[in-house]
Amino acid sequence: MKMLSPDRLEKNKRTGRILSLCALAMTVILLCLPVFEAATAVYTKKSPNTFKGDEKYTAVKAEVEEAIKDYEEFGDVQLKEDVTLRDKSDGTQSSMITFTASTKGHFSGWQLIQSGVPAGKLLLLLLILACVSAALAFTKGVRLHGIAVAAGILALLLVPVFSMTITRFFTRTIGTVLSGAREADITRELQGADGLLYGGKGGDKIRQLLGSMDFSCTAWLWALLIPGFMLICGAVVSLNAKLSEALGRGALYAFVISLCVLILYPYYVMFITGLRSAAETNDMYFLNMLPVQWMWSNYGDIVRRNVLKYLGNSLILSAGATLISLLCGIPAAYAMARMKFRGKKAFLGFVIMSQMFAPVVLLVGISRLMIGLNLNDSVVGLMLINAAFNQAFAIWLLRGTFVSISSEMEQAACIDGCSIVGSLIRVLLPMAAPGIVTTLIFVFINSWNEYTISTVLISTPGKRPITVGITQFSSFNMIEWHYLFASALLATIPVVILFLFIEKHLVAGLTSGGVKG
Amino acid sequence: MRKIVAMLLVVMMALSCAAFVSAEDTITLDVIICQYGPKTEDWFLGTGMDGTNFVAKFEAENPGIKLNLDVVSWNDVYTEVSTRISNNKAPDILNIDVFANYAAEGLLLPVKEYCSEELFNDFFPSFIAQSVIDDTVWAVPDLASARALYYNIDLLKEAGVEKVPATWAELEDACQAIIDFYGGEVYPWGIDMTTDEGQAAFSYYVWNNDGGFVDADGNIAVNSEKNVEAIEFAIGLYNKGYTNPNPATQTRYDLQDMFGAGKLAMVIAPNQLPDYLAQKGYEGINFATAALPVNEGANPGATGVMDRVMAFKDDSLSAEEDAARKEAIGKFLTFFYAPENYVGWVSMEGFLPAVNSSVAALVEANPSFEAWLKVLDSCQFYPTSLDNWDAIKMGVINVEQNALTGGDVKTLLDELQATLVK
Amino acid sequence: MNTILVRKKWIPYLWLLPSIVLMSVFVVFPILIVFRLAFSEISRAGVVGGFTGLDNFVAAVQDKAFGTVMGNTAIWVVSVVGLSTVLGFIVAMALNTEFFGRKIVRSIVIFPWATSLVIQASVWNYIIKYEYGNLNNVLLNLGIIKTAVNWRLTYQIEFAWECGIGIFVTIPFVTFCVLSGLQSIDAAYYEAATVDGAGFWKKLRHITLPLVRPSLTVSTVLNIIYVFNSFPIVYTITKGAPANKTDTMVTLLYMRAFYDQQKGPATAMSVIGFVILCIAAGAYMMLSMRKEEDL
Repeated sequence: MKMLSPDRLEKNKRTGRILSLCALAMTVILLCLPVFEAATAVYTKKSPNTFKGDEKYTAVKAEVEEAIKDYEEFGDVQLKEDVTLRDKSDGTQSSMITFTASTKGHFSGWQLIQSGVPAGKLLLLLLILACVSAALAFTKGVRLHGIAVAAGILALLLVPVFSMTITRFFTRTIGTVLSGAREADITRELQGADGLLYGGKGGDKIRQLLGSMDFSCTAWLWALLIPGFMLICGAVVSLNAKLSEALGRGALYAFVISLCVLILYPYYVMFITGLRSAAETNDMYFLNMLPVQWMWSNYGDIVRRNVLKYLGNSLILSAGATLISLLCGIPAAYAMARMKFRGKKAFLGFVIMSQMFAPVVLLVGISRLMIGLNLNDSVVGLMLINAAFNQAFAIWLLRGTFVSISSEMEQAACIDGCSIVGSLIRVLLPMAAPGIVTTLIFVFINSWNEYTISTVLISTPGKRPITVGITQFSSFNMIEWHYLFASALLATIPVVILFLFIEKHLVAGLTSGGVKG
Repeated sequence: MRKIVAMLLVVMMALSCAAFVSAEDTITLDVIICQYGPKTEDWFLGTGMDGTNFVAKFEAENPGIKLNLDVVSWNDVYTEVSTRISNNKAPDILNIDVFANYAAEGLLLPVKEYCSEELFNDFFPSFIAQSVIDDTVWAVPDLASARALYYNIDLLKEAGVEKVPATWAELEDACQAIIDFYGGEVYPWGIDMTTDEGQAAFSYYVWNNDGGFVDADGNIAVNSEKNVEAIEFAIGLYNKGYTNPNPATQTRYDLQDMFGAGKLAMVIAPNQLPDYLAQKGYEGINFATAALPVNEGANPGATGVMDRVMAFKDDSLSAEEDAARKEAIGKFLTFFYAPENYVGWVSMEGFLPAVNSSVAALVEANPSFEAWLKVLDSCQFYPTSLDNWDAIKMGVINVEQNALTGGDVKTLLDELQATLVK
Repeated sequence: MNTILVRKKWIPYLWLLPSIVLMSVFVVFPILIVFRLAFSEISRAGVVGGFTGLDNFVAAVQDKAFGTVMGNTAIWVVSVVGLSTVLGFIVAMALNTEFFGRKIVRSIVIFPWATSLVIQASVWNYIIKYEYGNLNNVLLNLGIIKTAVNWRLTYQIEFAWECGIGIFVTIPFVTFCVLSGLQSIDAAYYEAATVDGAGFWKKLRHITLPLVRPSLTVSTVLNIIYVFNSFPIVYTITKGAPANKTDTMVTLLYMRAFYDQQKGPATAMSVIGFVILCIAAGAYMMLSMRKEEDL
């Protein structure tokens, strides 16, 4: 980092302080504006088969007017009537009348903070962070300025979180409270809402008052992002760092974090759904993000339905396929890397061509072959198929690895009286370990994940690999999502663990294998 | 590591070799059973049959016959069977919905050759009649289901629908009333036009408009005027926003889930819907059944669906071996349809029976069966004895899905008719 | 050269023998059967009859859905291979910089690759369900959306999801191929370039891209093959519905073979796919390997 000249530094600091102060002032002003709007349909009544002015209409209207009397003390209640007219098929007309009584109110950020609803607490935190950030910009220490940057970033991040909390609170939480799903939290949260919207006057009636709440923040809320951004800039400028560098770093972290979130999301879904009860997996009202009851017994159920056995089958199958693939692939790759012979290119073409048919397409051919070899319904047959389908990749990777290793050592070994085979085993293979490990993993994973051929080839249930085994949970009659995902997670774990162990080798192995193409 | 794997491999090879050396004097029957529900596999192979399973019980009672029984999901069963046929490795006994293409190509054994007289007379005659081509019975029914209109009593009542829709016009009125009242929170009507069961949707509408897959003489007539009108009506329901939003990918099971959750007011579903809802844990749904809505002036047509069991020929056997094989297949059927086994199976899967001998026990266990058996009597079934039935089936589904995305029903059905009668 | 002299000419072939035998028996033989079937009459039930010449091919090309599906397949392969290569490259660049927690992130990035496609497809199928899918659940409960969104409103959107999932599961492979290429670049190149005043983009164009090209070539060729032949994603999520409008070639021929009972045309279609793939992958390899060292 280049040091700036002293007067430039002084100027930077001044700019930074001004920015921080402006940001703080803007935040305070924004909080005073009545940016939040609450519209509550305190009472809705839909009356089908009712014509305006008929007997039923009069009765319902009286009922509605009686009901809204109670609400008038809380604010200006407006009654609206909508008539929906339809021509029916028998020539008559049908009519539905909708009565909606609603109140409307505006309030500011300060009121939100005072009420004690969860979003108010977040807003307070945001304000405190902004103050801290601004105050620290006036200090001298570089480290304190760093903290100011951090506080500014946190404040900035809190803006969307705050917006989320407030919508969540007023649309989801209140909704679930009212539907009786979460009786336990009811008092505290309702009191907060009461205090905010009706100054505590709602009392017992608050449940009905919130009957159909539509809460919204105006666009002004998002204007909070501007002071947040100003805070950060202020702090960064006074830190005398290059702004672009700091931003680049920030962008890198933002990218990496969102990448991880995206990648881990399906696994989160598998985990969460695998622990729900059957009814909850199909919850069409989206009541709970986390399982109401963590059903660890799901795992017991799937074990009882043979999932462990299928996992074992897959393990044997993949290990066998990997072994066969390496045993055939290493000599071939060695010949390709170290020997000169006619037809090298032809062989390479042959290898790549062999990859160009999808296994699905070859089902009939493979099945016939297996019947001919008497390997139908046998795990060994499946091993051989998987090994063969992975030859191209194995040879390509191993050849690259061997090429990248100098043959001097082997030649020396040969002079010492070692045979070619001896030098391969004793000298080359240990040096090529990363490449071999990588190949091993590739073949293993591909065999572990193979599905189509296994479905047709294996007909004895006891011999099924896991990919076929879990289809029992998505049967014609019902998909048992919770069991499906619990076993999917079980099927994923061994492979992921394997990958974690060899991550370092993987890059190294691909480096030696890949570069020479 | 490598050593261990190598040893494992050797052991595996040894084991698989050992598998081929089996005793010569037993008969092994390859059986493919479709997976009807989560308990099917457990019943046939696990512990679902009062602690034991079908295969073990059968083998204990019939020494000399071994069952190589595979429970296959409906997703994979067509793949597996046709691959095996292509390789001359057809199973001995197959449980599936179609039979005509196998029969037309001479792959099946006539039922009379292996089924005992007593058992044969036990099947409902109207069911057996569905598996006849050229006066020969090629398959026996294993179970059936009948379809009815299920409606959510509370949802309809609240929306002011006083009469359960019996005609198409009333259905549209009811749908509009539900849309008006719930404003999209509740779908009025469920349609499943997926590759899973789109042919059922076709039958629900054309059969209630005096149309059908075939004309009165049994010739394919998918493009009749009545059919066009019926399918245009169904597509119209979708276009007016009365249905679930994705009929091409939402299967009947998705619809049943919506119905259970109170998101769907009316759906056409089979008799096992209550079982399904109970198994999935949906509570508090107040529902009832009614006949399918019918177009004004047309005769009502209930839809029945039936699956079958059939036996494949094996020409490689000597006369003596062949007789022994047929006898073994007969024993399998006799055992399967024996009330002590069959009643448990049918009630577990929630379907309707195909044999008389089990009716009494089933009705005793579940009185609602009686009403359903009556519905079944009046049911129409798919024309499965046409040897290109699966082409008809996939064809009408294709037409429906094309129509959902804006295609013209008449043109599409005309095109389909042309390819089918080519 | 890194070669070892062998005295007898047949010795290299002996070394290739196990591999050749394995592939010939278990890959080439089934391929030959498929070629033979493509020219044979196959009945609806699957019984193989006599030679019919090009009938199956004519039927395959005349299939009503053939045109749509070829278009879909092109979109599918180009978008999945193209975008996953670009995105994988960006991810690899990010993972090649030093930062806190890089080791963990690298491990996480492999996850989609280590999970069976069938499983990934089922999970995503559940995630994007409208009525009870997890995406709506999470977004609603976090307060990001107010009412559930139909994430699969039209079949075009569904197909876009399928492509997106395809990209998602392909990125790790590309990332690691590129990463291995990046790691082998000598840091001295970059230092020299920095001294010469080259910026980020210049370095990217003149150093990074040329040096990782070999790794990219190989990963792209393999990806073209794998993506073209990929089956579970489309099959699990839409099964090609509505009316084959989201099918790719492989799922269409699967449906034709096993649901519509048109095995002859389906087999012919797979041979057509094979030829297309040979041409595409071959052409790509020719173009990008032209300048490189001969084998």
